Amino acid sequence: MTATVTSGDVRTAQVGARPNWSASSILTQVQVLSGRSLRTLVRDPRLVILSLIQPLVLLILFGQVFSSIAKTPGFPQGIGYIDFILPALLVTTALTSGLQSGVAVTTELRNGLIARFRSMPISTGSVLLARSVADVCRSFVELSVMALVAALLFGFAPPGGITGVLGSLAVAAVVCWSLGWVFMAFASWLRQPEILQTIGSLVTFPLMFASKAFVPISGLPDWLQGFATINPLSHAIEAARGMAMGKPDLTVLATAVGGCLLIALVFAPLALRSFRRP
Amino acid sequence: MISISNLTKKFDSVIALDDVSFSVPGGSVLGLLGHNGAGKTTVVNILSTLLKPTSGTATIAGLDVTTEGDKVRRRIGLTGQFATVDDTISGRDNLVLIARLLGASRRQAAQRADDLLTVFDLTDAAKRPVRGYSGGMRRRLDLAACLVGGPEVIFLDEPTTGLDPGARLDVWSLVESLVAQGSTVLLTTQYLEEADRLADLITVLSKGKVVASGTAAELKREIGQLSVNTVLAPGSDTGAALAALRAAGLTPVTAEQPDTIHTRVLSSADITVVVRALDSVGVRVTDVAFSEPSLDDVYLSLTPGRGATTAA
Ligand SMILES: Nc1ncnc2c1ncn2[C@@H]1O[C@H](COP(=O)(O)OP(=O)(O)O)[C@@H](O)[C@H]1O
Ligand SMILES: [Mg+2]
Repeated sequence: MTATVTSGDVRTAQVGARPNWSASSILTQVQVLSGRSLRTLVRDPRLVILSLIQPLVLLILFGQVFSSIAKTPGFPQGIGYIDFILPALLVTTALTSGLQSGVAVTTELRNGLIARFRSMPISTGSVLLARSVADVCRSFVELSVMALVAALLFGFAPPGGITGVLGSLAVAAVVCWSLGWVFMAFASWLRQPEILQTIGSLVTFPLMFASKAFVPISGLPDWLQGFATINPLSHAIEAARGMAMGKPDLTVLATAVGGCLLIALVFAPLALRSFRRP
Repeated sequence: MISISNLTKKFDSVIALDDVSFSVPGGSVLGLLGHNGAGKTTVVNILSTLLKPTSGTATIAGLDVTTEGDKVRRRIGLTGQFATVDDTISGRDNLVLIARLLGASRRQAAQRADDLLTVFDLTDAAKRPVRGYSGGMRRRLDLAACLVGGPEVIFLDEPTTGLDPGARLDVWSLVESLVAQGSTVLLTTQYLEEADRLADLITVLSKGKVVASGTAAELKREIGQLSVNTVLAPGSDTGAALAALRAAGLTPVTAEQPDTIHTRVLSSADITVVVRALDSVGVRVTDVAFSEPSLDDVYLSLTPGRGATTAA
């Protein structure tokens, strides 16, 4: 392994050629950096598979154990519980995907890769933007697999058909993207994967369960109903559900997407600011 | 090319750099020498725009690192103290990624990556994930990565720490060939031998302060001309030996092994003073030799708070 074979002169000639490239555009930077993250996943799909386990367990649990809810009064008539729950599971899984963006940022801040990027003439923003683009793509694939599994194994066949399901996938992707900024902001600020995971569970569980995800809102205790109504995830779930049912409600959809954009608008600058801090 | 004046950096209560000034002329290598915690990485981080100084200024090619960061980043290449490559992708993909980010087209990036892989003797491992590389291979890839854009100024933070001797020689010869092509290099190291071999100028940093600077020869001259090295017989009382030498008006220091004592003297006649002093306290000597001052001596006399160094 010692003593490189190349002679000094050849070496100097090759290393010394100063490339005369003109600066890359932010678009190229985002494309190159998100391509890197996605290629890693293609080569090592374990992360994708692992991230599907939790939602599938939830699917089995809720699908089998609580399907009796569908027979309780107040539950929309003529709808299978699986059709009711799956759009919600898509949205809550997208939320956990957003958390993974944050975790990825903390590991890269730690292993020095980000230090190299920050010493290069590229925009710091494109590093985070690329992360979020890559994670939305990953999340979209994961969620599609989930919907497919649900259709094949659990009889998921909502009235909205494929278009409806694609619509709920899109809503879920928006949730993943905007909440990804929240977690990336925490990640850039705290820089510790362990703390981020804890904060992640603290944030995601109330958002997930105190929502319209698993039971209709009237099925929740009074004190939770108030929170479930303002919970941004509730709106996204309602929007996704409406799409799957083939009855998209534009007001609900606008509230959900608008809320998500607002969250991203607040947290993306915070993420960038903390990220630039050494 | 690099110019630092009155640079101070505080981390809360820790003063990492205290009024540091030095400059590096274009095309030369400056060795920043210091123990762990001396402030070497802090200097490199400020120069590579990763950290803002608390006060003072630093410029690269006349560009201020705090206010003209973008222009500075076009001219520098950084190899940090800890590996700064992506473990999960291959060595070649790492280099292509960097070239693309620097504005190369796909073809140009591939060409540049392949050239550098050849030069750094990584062609065989090019397609394997970096996770499986040895320490030396990783370091070479790291060096290659900082050269992708053909930077004018290169920062190498402890480039050989933790490498086996063979890999270290490789890195040395690579650094030498970089300098031969006219790059300006700032290299930090804990090894005197490394600074002596690679650097034109040496700045010794201790607890955030510059304690000496100059060429290796100047530093040696400053510290004295000659020293007498005595090896004590096994089981000797080193403490008593040091006390006796001090009593004779000399300034002894222990070297890597506690049974070896370096004593600075003014002329060769002083060897008898050394031997007599040791004899007077009954310490037997198994070997006596003169030596020209080494950077070790410079280092030991300038950086208080640590006895022996383990530098190779
Ligand atoms: N981010 C930081 N926060 C607090 N203290 C720091 C930080 N970085 C470095 N230091 C302190 O500054 C001093 C110099 O550190 P450093 O520049 O890493 O030294 P070296 O690279 O010479 O080992 C040390 O005392 C170190 O503990
Ligand atoms: Mg250091």
